[in-house]
Parts: sequence; C-alpha cells; structure tokens
Amino acid sequence: MRDLPRRPLRAAPDLRHHRKVIASRPTPVAWLIAPAALLFVLFFVLPFAVMATMSFFSHNPVSNPNAVLTFRHYQRFIDDSAGIFHEALLSTLRIGLITTAIALAIGYPLAHWMARMQSRLGHALLLMAVIAPMLTGIVVRTFAWMTLLQDKGVVNTLLISWGFTEKPLPLMYNEFGTVVALVHIYVPFMVLTLTGVIGRIDERLEQAARSLGASRARTFLEVTLPLSVPGILAGSLLVFALSISAYVTPSLMGGTSVLTLPMLIAQQVGTSFNPGFAGALGVILLTVSLAIVVAYNRILARLSGQGNLA
Amino acid sequence: MTRTVPFRRRSLIRTAAGLAAAATLGAPAVLRAQTRTLRITTWGGKWGEMMKGQVLPAFEKEFKCTVQADQAFPFLPKLQASPKGDPIYDVLHTNSNEQWKAVDEGLVMAKITAREVPNIADIYPYAISDKIVGVSIFTSAIGLGFRTDKGLAKPTSWKALADSKLAGQRGGYIIPVNSLGQAHLMMLGKVYGKGLNDLDAAFKAMAELKPIKLVDFTGQMEKMLLAGEVSMGVIHDSGIYRYDGQNQPVDFAIPSEGVLALEQVLNVTPGSKVRDLAFAYIDYMLRPDVQKLLAEGVWYSPSNRKVKLDPKFDAKLFNTEAKVAQLIQPDWKWYNARKDDIDARVTRILRD
Repeated sequence: MRDLPRRPLRAAPDLRHHRKVIASRPTPVAWLIAPAALLFVLFFVLPFAVMATMSFFSHNPVSNPNAVLTFRHYQRFIDDSAGIFHEALLSTLRIGLITTAIALAIGYPLAHWMARMQSRLGHALLLMAVIAPMLTGIVVRTFAWMTLLQDKGVVNTLLISWGFTEKPLPLMYNEFGTVVALVHIYVPFMVLTLTGVIGRIDERLEQAARSLGASRARTFLEVTLPLSVPGILAGSLLVFALSISAYVTPSLMGGTSVLTLPMLIAQQVGTSFNPGFAGALGVILLTVSLAIVVAYNRILARLSGQGNLA
Repeated sequence: MTRTVPFRRRSLIRTAAGLAAAATLGAPAVLRAQTRTLRITTWGGKWGEMMKGQVLPAFEKEFKCTVQADQAFPFLPKLQASPKGDPIYDVLHTNSNEQWKAVDEGLVMAKITAREVPNIADIYPYAISDKIVGVSIFTSAIGLGFRTDKGLAKPTSWKALADSKLAGQRGGYIIPVNSLGQAHLMMLGKVYGKGLNDLDAAFKAMAELKPIKLVDFTGQMEKMLLAGEVSMGVIHDSGIYRYDGQNQPVDFAIPSEGVLALEQVLNVTPGSKVRDLAFAYIDYMLRPDVQKLLAEGVWYSPSNRKVKLDPKFDAKLFNTEAKVAQLIQPDWKWYNARKDDIDARVTRILRD
C-alpha cells in the first residue's frame, strides 16, 4: 500500500510530458484549417502589410534608395486641397450602404421564401434563378446594364416610344446606375447567406408565437427577424465589402460623375504611378470600413438583443 | 568474360537511357539558353495585329531570338514592381509622358544615341529632342476630330471646341488618366493664356468647355465620333485617318495654334540582360521599310526622314521638315512634377 501512491507520482511527469507532446502536435482540425490560414496570410495579410508599408514611404523602398519614411500621403488625403478625396470616400461609403440596404430589402423576402419552400423542385429552381447571374462575369453583366440604361438603351427607348418622357432619363453615368448594377451583381450573395440562416430557424418557434395569439407580422418581427440577425449581418458585411471595393461597375456605370476610392486607387497605380498614395487610400478605406462594420455589428446586436454578436 | 557481357550491355542500356532522359528534360533549357528572349511592351488593336503578324516574326527570324510582347496596359506599374537588375521588360514602349516618369525612377535609360541605335542618324530632330526620353519612332498629331454631317465648319482654331452650339456634343478626356487630355489642357494654356505652362488659364478654359463628354482612351473617342454621340472632340490624326475610305462622316482639323505631338517612344531598361538586342530592336523599328509598313498601316507619322510614303499618306502625315515643325512637344517633366495637383484640380472643375 505504501508503494501504491508512489506509482502515479512516478508516472505523473511522464504523463505531463506525453500531454505536452500531444499538445504541441497540430490537431487534425488545425491541419484542415492550415490551407485557409495560409491563403489568408498570403493573399490578405501579406499584400495588406506591403500596401500599408508602402503608404509610409516617399517612394518604393525596394527599387529607390532615396525612399524615406513619410506621412505625406496621409497628409495629402487629410488636406484634400481640391476636395475630391473626401468626396470619393463619402461616395464610396454611400454607394456601399445603399447597395447593401437595397440588396437586403430584395434578398431577405427571397431568402425567406426559399428557406420555407416545401417543394424540393421549387427550391432547386429558385436557387438556380438566384445563382444564374453569377455564372456570367461582372464585366458582361455591367455591359448588359449599359445596354439597358444608356440614353439610346432599351429602357429609355421604350419610355420615349410609350410617351412617358420626351427626353431620355439619366439612368446611367451616375450613382443611380452604379447602384442598380451593383445590387444586381451582389443580391445573390445576400440571398445565399440569408437562406442558410433562415432555414436553420426552428419553425416551431414561429408556430408557438402564432398559437399564443401573435399576428404574422408580430411573429416575424419578434421571432424570425431577431433569429435571422446573424444572416443579415453576414450578408450585409459581404455585400458592403464587395460594393465598396468594386472597381469595374462604378467605372463603367458611373462615367465621370462617380468617383470612388477604388477608382482613385487604380488611377494612382495605373496612371500616376504613385503606389504610396494608393496604399494610403487603401489603408484609409479599410480603416473607415472596419469602423462602420463594428458600429453596424453593435447596432444590430443591440436591436436583436444578441450581445454576443458585438 | 562471358559473364561480363550481359552486365556491360545492361549498364550501356542504362547509361543510354539516362542520357536520353537528361537530353529530353534538358533540351528546352538548352534551346532557351541558345535562343535569346527580348521582352517588350506594345499596343494592341491594328498596331498589335501588325506587330505580331509581320514585324515581330521578321525581327525574330533575322536576329534569331524570340520576342515576348506585353499588350496588357498599364506597363509602368509592372516595371516598377520588377527588380531593376532583372526588369520585366527590355524595351518599354509608351507615350512620352510615361517615359519621363520612368526615367525619374531610373527604370529606363536617360539618353539613347546613334552609337547604340545607328538609324537615329536619319530621324527628325524632334524624335530625339530634349523633350523626349528614349527615341520617338512615330508620332501622331493631336488636333480636333469632327463630324462632317452636322453642318459644322472645319475648325481652324482650338477655340472652336468652345462654341456654345457644341454644348454636350464636344468630347474630351479624363485628364488624370489620358495623355491626350493632359496635352489638351496644356494647349488651352497656350490658346487662352501665356503659354503651355499657364495652368490658371487652362483650368478656366477647361471649365468653359462644360458640358463635355469625357472618355479615358482614344478608341472611345473614335467610337463616340463615329456614333455621332459627339460632334467634335480632341483626338489624334491617326484616330480619324484610319477610317479613310470607309465612308465615315468624320474628318481631322489642324488648328492654327498648332498640333500637339503624341509620340510613340521606345526606351531600354538599364537592367536588361539583352541590351544589345534591345537596341537592335529599336534600330529595326526605325528602318525605313518597317516605318513605312506601320505608318501606312495605322496612319502614324514616321520618325525616319528616309521613309517614302504612298501619295495618300504623304499628303496627310507629318513627314517633311516643314510639317514636323508644326508639332508642339509638351514639357512632360514639368507636367509630371505637378500632375497630382493638376489631377485634383481638374477633377474638381469637371465634377462641379
């Protein structure tokens, strides 16, 4: 009996060592996550770090030995002598927010319908209808909108021939046309994100609310909507992020009257050959967007009573 | 002895197989080492078709090399991103404004002389002037393109573009991204102010041109003129003359204040590993036969004085001392130094 307690004591250090060895080995889950993590580091962290570093240098420090550390790119944005940089930032955020709001307004009912559809065939057909536009490239879809909305396009031609207007309506080369095309392109992202979340909401909760006397509207507002907040959040963030970083659609649909930060960034890289200022604009866009995302998260979490979302 | 024979045969077969495999695997590398590669930039469209279809294959054959031609614009950011000691291009083909930016960053050579490119001895002085970094192999003239079916008189001055009848029917460029737009802005300074560098006069005149339809490249301006979306616009002569004989109601006008040179400039990257081949390529592009072929193919004015053009091209292109004297070469070094401020100010003016 005296020896008995000693055994575990002797064995204990070995066990701890064994546990340490096990703990230091990557788990299968870690191995599965590794490719995604690597991708994230390679295609987001690394490029962003390079871009952020460049934004603090006067010239490219790799190729130019005279490059010095500077804050001048940020100063240039802050000073904004001609008043176009701040306007471009506001325009970018405005387009992003409006596109997200409209995509949510269009996407939520569609996603709800899809999630609650009993017919498998109906669900499949609806899914196909949602996904179909994604099978065509953004450039092609944008050109299709140009064909529809330009002065001599299908819409204006019909409106004029039916006598609703004498002059073509300004449907493109402005923010309206840009938002219309962006909404069309990004609604599928909203619908697909929301469908999954709404589909997982237990329908019995809605039935319970109804049996307790709640109207359809109240059931939706107090049961379905709060429970679908994670989907609204994810879909909105996805659409917002895609909208504020869009380059092709605002360039083609906005003409010269729309100027967004991605357009300015492309201009700085492609024709002004100023990667430092382009980097600064990129950092500013990301910082402001993150601030908006955090604020949006908190507001939605507070409204839905799900504090853990914030 | 009898036992060693199979062994030798086997080892012989093994050795032969090994050598064959090594030769098979190594052959492309050996071939690559023997065939030098010249990496260049060049335009697309009709120019690109002629380059890839005729000019470059002939060069490859004569100089026993391969040419990799990048047509995916913009070129300078790619060159900026590549190591100076091993640049992505050996020869950079751009308009003059970009060459000035490139030389500022040490990405291209500051000067090319007839010692490296013998045909430079035969080119017009403007093509190697102090307004050029590298060598201008062709130029086109920036003037006014107009519709001939709109009852417009052929413009004789740049001021014609400001005619109130053309409100919303005149075309220009998004100045931050297009060198024709930048050149036009400087010309406004000359026409309405004290000279090409009079930016205040230029900005004021630019504001007077509103409403104006803006595009970001010349191909779009050609389409707008052909479609009748604009009645008059800033464009280079090549963009109008290339529709010669196609019964299009468009023409090109040379304003009395002069036309601006839109040079096609070649330059060599200092870190090129095939610098001799790069110079040979520029020399080849300046040969009279190559110059004639491309000049008549895309309506560019050749830089080589010895080129004899066919009559219809001879009548319109800038190919005599007297004609090239009309070309105004902007000071792109001066412009580039102020580009950020100009971009911001002109964007503000055209958005208000």
